[in-house]
Amino acid sequence: MKNLKTLILSLSLVLFITNACNESFTEVPAYGALSDESLANATGIDLLLTGTYSVLDGQTNTQGGWTSSGDNWWMDVISDDAHKGSTDGDQADLYEIEVFNWGTGNGYWLGLWKAPFSGVNRANAVINLINSADEDYPVLMAQARFLRAHFNMQLLLKFGNVPNITPERAAALEYNLPNSGETQLTWADIEADLQFAVANLPSSRSGSYSEPGRPLSHGAKAYLGKAYLYQGKWAEASSSLDAVIGSGAYSLNPEYVENFKSSGENSSESVFAIQFASDGGVSNQGNKGGTLNFPAGGPIGSCCGFYQPTQDLVDAFQTDANGLPLLDTYQNTHVTNDYRVASSDPFTLHTGNLDPRLDYTAGRRGIDYNGWGPAAGKDWIRASFDDISGPYLSKKNMYHAGDDANRGTGGWGEQRSGINYHFMRYSDVLLMAAEAAVETGSISKALGYVNQVRNRAKNSTPPDSQPTYVIEPYTSFASADYARKAVRFERRLELGMEGHRLFDLRRWGNAASVMNTYFAKEAEVVTSFARGQSYQGKHDLFPIPIVAIDQSQGVIAQNSGY
Amino acid sequence: MKRLTLLFSLLFMCVSLAFSQRQVTGTVEDNSGNPIPGASVIVVGTSSGTVTDIEGNFAISVSSGDQLEFSFVGYESQTVTVGAQSTLTITLAESTEFLDEIVVSGYQTQTRKSLSGAIASVDVNNAVKTPVINAAEMLQGRVTGVSIINSGQPGAAPIVRVRGYGTPNNNSPLYVIDGVQTDDAYVLSSLSPSDIEQINVLKDASAAIYGARASNGVIVITTKSGSYNTKNTVTFESYVGSSKAVGLPTLLNAQQHGDMIWQSKVNDGVTPNHPQYGTGGSPNVPSSLQGTPAGISTTVNPNGTDWLDAIFDPGLAQQYKFSVSSGNANSRFMMSMEYLDRQGAQIMTGYKTGRTRMNAEFKVNDRITIGEHLNVTYDSERGGNQVQAAYRSSPLIPLYDNDGNYAGGYGTPLGLGNVGNPYATLKRTEDDFQKSFRAFGDVYANVNIIKGLDYKVVFGGMMRDLANRRFVVKNPEHSEPRSTNTLYEQSFRQYNWNITNTLNYKANFDNHSIDALLGYEALSNNFKGHEISRNDYLFETPNFYLLSNGAGTPVVQWGNANAYTISSTFLTVNYAYNNRYLVTATVRQDNTSRFSKANADAIFPSASFGWVLSEEDFYSSDNYMKLRVSYGTLGNQSLGRTAPDQNISNLSEANAYYPFDGSSASTGAALSAVGNPDLQWETVVSANAGLDFRLMDNKLYGSVDYFNITTNDLIAVDESLIGTTAIDASAPLVNIGQVSNTGIELALNYADATSGGLSYDVGFNLSTYTNTVDSLISAFYVGNSGFRGGAVTRTSPGEPMSYFYGRRVLGLDGSGRFEYEDVNGDGSINDDDRTKIGSPHPDFTFGVNVSLAYKNFDLYAFFAGSVGNDIYHYNKIYTHFPTFFNGNRHEDVLDSWTPSNTDTDFPALSESIRNDETQPNSWFVEDGSYVKLKTLQIGYTLPSSATSKLGISNARIYVAGNNLLTLSKYSGMDPEIGGSPLTLGVDSGAYPQASLTSLGINVTF
Repeated sequence: MKNLKTLILSLSLVLFITNACNESFTEVPAYGALSDESLANATGIDLLLTGTYSVLDGQTNTQGGWTSSGDNWWMDVISDDAHKGSTDGDQADLYEIEVFNWGTGNGYWLGLWKAPFSGVNRANAVINLINSADEDYPVLMAQARFLRAHFNMQLLLKFGNVPNITPERAAALEYNLPNSGETQLTWADIEADLQFAVANLPSSRSGSYSEPGRPLSHGAKAYLGKAYLYQGKWAEASSSLDAVIGSGAYSLNPEYVENFKSSGENSSESVFAIQFASDGGVSNQGNKGGTLNFPAGGPIGSCCGFYQPTQDLVDAFQTDANGLPLLDTYQNTHVTNDYRVASSDPFTLHTGNLDPRLDYTAGRRGIDYNGWGPAAGKDWIRASFDDISGPYLSKKNMYHAGDDANRGTGGWGEQRSGINYHFMRYSDVLLMAAEAAVETGSISKALGYVNQVRNRAKNSTPPDSQPTYVIEPYTSFASADYARKAVRFERRLELGMEGHRLFDLRRWGNAASVMNTYFAKEAEVVTSFARGQSYQGKHDLFPIPIVAIDQSQGVIAQNSGY
Repeated sequence: MKRLTLLFSLLFMCVSLAFSQRQVTGTVEDNSGNPIPGASVIVVGTSSGTVTDIEGNFAISVSSGDQLEFSFVGYESQTVTVGAQSTLTITLAESTEFLDEIVVSGYQTQTRKSLSGAIASVDVNNAVKTPVINAAEMLQGRVTGVSIINSGQPGAAPIVRVRGYGTPNNNSPLYVIDGVQTDDAYVLSSLSPSDIEQINVLKDASAAIYGARASNGVIVITTKSGSYNTKNTVTFESYVGSSKAVGLPTLLNAQQHGDMIWQSKVNDGVTPNHPQYGTGGSPNVPSSLQGTPAGISTTVNPNGTDWLDAIFDPGLAQQYKFSVSSGNANSRFMMSMEYLDRQGAQIMTGYKTGRTRMNAEFKVNDRITIGEHLNVTYDSERGGNQVQAAYRSSPLIPLYDNDGNYAGGYGTPLGLGNVGNPYATLKRTEDDFQKSFRAFGDVYANVNIIKGLDYKVVFGGMMRDLANRRFVVKNPEHSEPRSTNTLYEQSFRQYNWNITNTLNYKANFDNHSIDALLGYEALSNNFKGHEISRNDYLFETPNFYLLSNGAGTPVVQWGNANAYTISSTFLTVNYAYNNRYLVTATVRQDNTSRFSKANADAIFPSASFGWVLSEEDFYSSDNYMKLRVSYGTLGNQSLGRTAPDQNISNLSEANAYYPFDGSSASTGAALSAVGNPDLQWETVVSANAGLDFRLMDNKLYGSVDYFNITTNDLIAVDESLIGTTAIDASAPLVNIGQVSNTGIELALNYADATSGGLSYDVGFNLSTYTNTVDSLISAFYVGNSGFRGGAVTRTSPGEPMSYFYGRRVLGLDGSGRFEYEDVNGDGSINDDDRTKIGSPHPDFTFGVNVSLAYKNFDLYAFFAGSVGNDIYHYNKIYTHFPTFFNGNRHEDVLDSWTPSNTDTDFPALSESIRNDETQPNSWFVEDGSYVKLKTLQIGYTLPSSATSKLGISNARIYVAGNNLLTLSKYSGMDPEIGGSPLTLGVDSGAYPQASLTSLGINVTF
């Protein structure tokens, strides 16, 4: 009997411990994490919105580095503006892209594809959070929808056929959707977001909305104009862009180069930009996607020698006696260059007339390199003469000597520059308005816009004292065709090496002819560039990365031709 | 069981005094006349008994006609009827009866003959004969159904798998080391192998007593603890050896490298020239690197630098260990101290550890026993693997320049590639360290409440403190030199504890015996750590490497903390009738913190039956034959995440902050992991049928098992849910489907001795499994997508997990490029032409052990192998393709396709990757079958006539070789490839295996 009691007592003890511990013991918080509940308030919305802006640079939790770079630098590599730079074998995937050997497994496509979707869906999360809140937050909502439109536009321009991940679908985790049919992203989806942003964003910066990194309603309208432009909705494009110009919200910097320096950062010319902060090189807020694009060699201690302007781009800056570009003939003559000339061998500068913007766009031997002294030519170029990348250095993404706020040198000489990247600056708005004006028959309006841009270039301080800079406004546009040609050419001169060229060519529908001509012309000078490249129709869209198709279980279909 | 027997014996002894009638004394000894201390002496049919003292003597009160049973572990029991004599000398024969072996199966101990589950044991004595670095090596090839892959890198955690791959999730078994529970395989590195007394692997539903943590099998390790009533035993063991890398490929020398570059350019239609090899019809190996910066001169070895040779150098291995064990009537102890230093075959790598153990147990009184196990280790790991960098390094670059500084690719385009000097990279880690202090162990108390009923409480725990320092120095010779140096300091603390309360009731009535256990257990696991870096150090000297000495801004690289808990209640009942019919029933309920409340609970029942055929009356022979059947449910909650049910957002300086004003960052947050509140336990239904047998006078023994393991509600990250079009958060864990593994395991042993004195023991084991994905929530699942060219593996219903998927190469076309099969027959070759191109799962794996002994000599050989598995030789994209054009290549490329060499498998050389040839395709798939001679050892036991004068009871010296020979058609470094469950069998650049030759000694005093 006593034994039985003991047994019962022991059993009770065990069961008591069991019950006493079970409930609270197995409730463990996720340390350091923010739960959905803790974010469901104004602070949470603000945190997630900031997190959405943070993806503008292409750096996300699952994607980083240059493949997804927010500044679209390697879109220029695909166009006639830039070579990949460095030696061919360095970032061999990008070499394959530049020679138009586009495999679906190339890691560059995957980065480029994933990062904007992260942006779209971070914006969706903000939108869903606001929708579930008790209050309205129209300005926060407008920013979120503006960013959503921005990311979606990047996807549409690059890959063409992409799924439209709406906030509702994101909330239901319906991310895996066909990139055709009713779930396909259309310009209308982008327009809707932008129209909301136009209606709800502040029209000026003040009070709680003073930070320059946030868009204004005019900026949203400019984006809307751009969306119309891509669709050939010329009248809508023209009226939107004219309205932006008429608002007086933006103006050109007196000095062209100020757009690429701390002193001109967030000036009146900046419509929407990635805000980069260099923070001594350790910061994650510098331009990590553009890390490689600095001289390798030379006095600066920077790295990697990527992103070199082409001879073709340099040639485009030739001007005639009237200070106007050689619209049809610029490829007939080449600006004197030091390709296959060692730095120790003599070199004579080009003596012909040049647009001064050349020497703010391409670093060439003997010309001041952003205040770091005359570029030394080959010694600062990483590419050998047998590589495809030619003799020039990029300049707009390179901090100027003394502009230490923008200089960010990291561990292995990689740069995390603080130079803002302009998704859109006012001269872009003027030239898009000019393009719309041409197509709507307002040639004189186009002339005015183009000349605003040219006059600013003309009146800017010359970048160097040696070359013969001759630049003048157009006196008139003789015809719509001429106007169209002049406007398009001006975009290249004004916005060269700013990540727009490829999309312009695709919009104009002449990418194949321009590129195939460029392959031949470029190889006249940069002889190593002759690699049998060919731009075909399929290249108007990038291949959808094989990983995306596989992970979608085949729900996402490949673009045609791949 | 030994402990319990002794305990019971003591209890019985106390009782027996009351009935004392007549005293019988005597001695128990073994065949050689040596006394056996601690043997139990029981009056059959009563509860009275005693144990022998240190001289083997006993005294017991008996009545005339009583039967006395003498027993001791390892010896055959003997029953003697007491006649008139008052002194007895009992000689116990050493037992070949392995059935009496006590098996520690978790919370309980059982004799092997009473087991009805599939529990495999390691022959520990054989396993520790050779230098083993960790306990996992002891399992390799010795236990059916258990596969072990050891990294060649000393100190790295082994990969242990029980019965194939049941889940895409964590496949690691649960380790129970005395009273400590963990699924961290690193713990195997902290155990000194020769401290181990037993390793038992619970492969089937017998693991169900561990419920939610048991689905990958349970490995129960018991350490040595000394014996009661024994004199001091001191052992010393040591070995010294040397390890060297095996299987390294042969790369091109300088002239061949130049020829390769020339041929590539010729094939591409480019006139060959090169910054180093010059211009003209053929390449010239320069006498010094061309174009180096001013002030740097170099000398190029005419044959070039063999970078693999430069980074591999035989490493010294040495080990010294002392252990002492002892016991008196009320206490027993074991302590050991070991120092092990295994330098890696790759320079600057290695593993050093000091391991100590202290096990003790005390009988406080007749009813209470308390004890402890404590293992404390300190280790220093030096990793680093520069094999891939060696592939990528130009053979022209010398190790040093003419001034004795490291040579490299320098900052300008010299045609030397842009990988860092692998030799310098390793050498520069000299002042880096990763040290961890780990302590684990348990304290326990056992209270005998009434006869047959015991209460036991165990508190076990483990703690690991890690400190890691890396100082990244400047490397001016590199083509991308660092502009600053950086110190990284990482530290974390990991600890877990478990408390287990059990009530155990054992009773025998007539032919019935019952052993029942009721328990409650709580377990908590915790982690907290961080890494901080700072750059810009004035001096590159180690005593300056403090975070406070950098001039840059300190950066928190990561900071993290997490925890999870489990609480469980369990009941198991073993019933045996007449030693013939065995039944075990178990039920366990687990509650975990990992799942949402609604899904946190799960119940895991199991049952097993055993039928000892040979005990039946109709069974006439002396053979032993037991049939076993088991069926049960087990669980898996060992996930990579501690709160998979919740959405987790984080503040992230790197990926969520934004500098709205272009200079200072505002705080932002982003979702980092998507939760799944519906996530539930992955459950495993395990069925097993087996036969144990001992035939031909016990000379032939073994077992056969058939198993069918079905894993339901497989937990995996669902990348089709959060794929590339989703937010940049980790995809949720989702219950994705069902996988089954069926297989057969066979173990056979034959042991005998010839009349001439040669004794031999040959063991053979074979395991086979068929892995099938029964269902998935989606059409297929892609493995790791991080490879260049995309995922190599795919998993889909009706196929085994993780088969290779890509294009099928039919041969070379007229220009030396791959010709792919047009799988869908649409006339064009693209990604839709991918198909299954191989499977990493073997037809079977096997192990062969051979032991021979003749007089004082012994020989032991151990072979292990795998047949029928494929390997995806991913490394070939570096060694056979221009992924890094100026890097080196395998000598295979000398046989590459040219217009005059068309009868070859190697595609034409090129400067760039053509025709998508490095995207997954069948050219990279090779037969991965192999046979390895893992161990060969010859030992000599010194004659006792010589050693006894020195007080030595046994001394043995040996020479041994590990990993001596690999027979395989596989062209990579080593056919033993691991991988995560959805990405198996992809050889992507592991640290090569090393072979170790050593000379050792074991001495017992």
